[in-house]
Amino acid sequence: MVLAGIKRGETVLSARGISKRFPGVVANDQINFDIKAGEVHAILGENGAGKTTLMNILFGLLQPEEGDIYVRGEKVKFRSPLDAINLGIGMVHQHRKLVSAHTAIENIILGHPKAGTILNMKRAEEEVQELCDRYGFKVDLRAKVWQLSEGEKQVVEILKALYRGAEVLILDEPTSALTPIETEKLLASIEAMARDELAIVPFITHKLPVVLAISHRVTVLRRGKVVTCMETSRTTEKSLAIQMVGREVMFRIERMMVEKGKPILQVENLTAFNDKGLQALKGVSFSICEGEIFGIAGISGNGQQELVEVLAGLRHAQEGKVILDGKDITHASSLDRWQLGIGYIPSDRVDVGTIGDFSLVENVAMNYYFDDNFSRRGIVDYGNLRKLTEEIISEYGVATPGPNIKAKNLSGGNLQKLILARVLSRKPRLVIADLPSQGLDIGATEFVQNKLVEAKKGKAGVLLISEDLDEILSLSDWVAAIYEGQFMGILPGKEAMKESVGAMMAGLPIQEHEL
Amino acid sequence: MRIGKYALKLEKRATLSGWEAALISILAIFFALLLFSLLFIQARINPLIAYQKIFSYAFVNPFGLPLAINRFIFLLLCTTAFIIPFKAGLWNIGMSGQLFAGALSVFAIVVAFGGKEFDNPYLSPAKLIPLMLVAAALGGAVSGAIAGFLRGRFNVNEIVVTMMLNFITFWLVSFMIKEGGPFMKSGGEGDGFELPSSIFGPLIKGIPFTIFIALGFAVLLYFMFAKTNIGYQIKAYGLSPAAARYAGIKTFTIPLLVFVMGGALAGLAGYHYFAAVPGLYKIPTNYGYFGDLAFYGIICGLISQGNPIAAIPVTLLFGGLSIGGRFVQGELHMSFGVDYALLGVLMITLVAFQFFYRYKIRWIKTRKESLDVGLPG
Repeated sequence: MVLAGIKRGETVLSARGISKRFPGVVANDQINFDIKAGEVHAILGENGAGKTTLMNILFGLLQPEEGDIYVRGEKVKFRSPLDAINLGIGMVHQHRKLVSAHTAIENIILGHPKAGTILNMKRAEEEVQELCDRYGFKVDLRAKVWQLSEGEKQVVEILKALYRGAEVLILDEPTSALTPIETEKLLASIEAMARDELAIVPFITHKLPVVLAISHRVTVLRRGKVVTCMETSRTTEKSLAIQMVGREVMFRIERMMVEKGKPILQVENLTAFNDKGLQALKGVSFSICEGEIFGIAGISGNGQQELVEVLAGLRHAQEGKVILDGKDITHASSLDRWQLGIGYIPSDRVDVGTIGDFSLVENVAMNYYFDDNFSRRGIVDYGNLRKLTEEIISEYGVATPGPNIKAKNLSGGNLQKLILARVLSRKPRLVIADLPSQGLDIGATEFVQNKLVEAKKGKAGVLLISEDLDEILSLSDWVAAIYEGQFMGILPGKEAMKESVGAMMAGLPIQEHEL
Repeated sequence: MRIGKYALKLEKRATLSGWEAALISILAIFFALLLFSLLFIQARINPLIAYQKIFSYAFVNPFGLPLAINRFIFLLLCTTAFIIPFKAGLWNIGMSGQLFAGALSVFAIVVAFGGKEFDNPYLSPAKLIPLMLVAAALGGAVSGAIAGFLRGRFNVNEIVVTMMLNFITFWLVSFMIKEGGPFMKSGGEGDGFELPSSIFGPLIKGIPFTIFIALGFAVLLYFMFAKTNIGYQIKAYGLSPAAARYAGIKTFTIPLLVFVMGGALAGLAGYHYFAAVPGLYKIPTNYGYFGDLAFYGIICGLISQGNPIAAIPVTLLFGGLSIGGRFVQGELHMSFGVDYALLGVLMITLVAFQFFYRYKIRWIKTRKESLDVGLPG
């Protein structure tokens, strides 16, 4: 299949002087970039550094205002992604673009020129299988996409691009949704593809170790400009972080001991079903006291989502009890829980945590419309809310032209700051933080973690759900690991080690490996 | 596109102010009229004269103006009936069913008070007219509530439900007013019975009093969406049900509430046309025509982008043009359907021009070929 006439080291794709402006921002400013066959060239940058814009320009989704793109030395103009695909550029989106009711192989051949009116599924399957074997991808081609894990869906997207004849593969945040094992497999496959003269461009926000592990060269973007482009072997995690953020960053936040107070939340033997009607939570018990962070580690899909939703009042508890400040709230509505002092930071900050077409003021109102200080006799006090929003913007450093801007114009990190500020400004007794730093860049992650520690100092209890073991271990006073809806054990933060918690996340109960 | 040193460029708008939106709509109207004049030219009629006749009949003529205003009141009520669920992200396709549910309730009240059997001069308008209004709103609200309840409780598609209810109500009306039906007019040709004259809807300078109801609700709704807590909750639910649920907004109550409110307004539209418009005061045999007219509520609601204040000029224009169009058709001996064609062209143009709500066109001065940054060696 593949790559006739491409020589190792030949420049396959290059961009010269790419500029793109959006109202109010210069997203890309005179960007130069090139990639050779057989090379993995990572593009690193924080949210809002212009990565997405550049990626969309290279794939033909956006047209640059200035600058040119060259494919194998020839100047080209992409009017749409189809032009890019026909010239051998493939893209693997972070938000998967697959038809979930179709099988993997059906998705792979969708839109392929060979898939005309009559489908030769058997031959297509053989050809795709060949690709799988060659690069070490493992996926059931006849499985429906909705049955696949995030990692498998990504493999399907990669296969789709390869089957279409991609010579340059653009990967958007390739490891963000993967488990550690899946990540390793992907890295091995990327290496295999690079050996085959494919050019691979991963775009990465914050997983610096991944950059160091796979790429030959790295280009760092900051505020729409190329800060540096160098051989990866000459960089370190620290030097990359400084280039990317523009200042020194702390990698670890010190655990802060706060005097333990009264119990805030008690959860007793909680069970719940998931959306498919299967038991996702199988008897979970724990408690959180004032000034404590209770971290739950686990690979997503093991019942964390259901637990959080039950606590927030968005899902019915099947059995068990939830007690907040001595009051049984098992059957309280979510509105009641907000008023009783639960502050919930959802994992989906774009579709659940905020409303894109609402202004920032209206978004802040999401946690205040029921508050007597902001809503009297059924009339919302937008003047007061505006004041609060302005305070939030300046105190949390939300990057926005003003409080009347629509939330969809904010980057992920700024959205998270807004949600965090809105929830924490209510001075909640219990903060439920579900994947609070997922997908955020280093600077924003640090900010979010500091704010959670601040809440803890302010005598709130914090329930922290995270897939990032480092985050859990550095912040939590108690560490629980969840596996298939059950806690595999609860350890004091000081005693929790990466290895033991990792084993618990994989489903080994605490006694077995402790003894 | 490039002309000389200038290039035409399409730019995404970051914001759109109210007056910009109004300006775009007015341009769209002129463009639609320009487009439609081709039809007049093709029929060898001077378009200027035709438009002069249309507008003067609809908005000046002592015979045409009241007709246009009656249409306007009806359309405004139907449009607000559409807008309320629309703000909650739900589609009310059932205004015609709801308006007949309202109308049937009105006539049921009249029957209950003995208004059908004889022209009872002792029927008290002060007592009965408020009752009839309440019945109209209730009838529409109940019809709407079915769709709202099913949506909120079981997530049943509201478009299908309201659509099906239209058919059910349509045939129910037929059953009630045609031969042998309880609301039949004695000796009539398929009409419903006429209201006794004592309880005709009062007129103010020849205009039905319902104009105050329609305008009042339009202003009230604007205020509700701009300022009130419930308006905020409806908008939040409309933009993102998942986010609304997260914020503690009741995802059962909102769909039910918006359909109850929308249905009530459509019910009042039924009261307006069949109990307050001079010369009618009954459910006529061609009642289906009014059902069709109610569908313009959807169009007007979409054109006014869910803004109840903007809906006032839009429905006034549509009401006027439908009357004026029908008039010139007879006056200028044109073939059937001028009014519908005119509304159709207007509708499509207004919707097409909403493109400019999101984009603007600008002339920019192009620099000379300065983009050739060479490949470094």
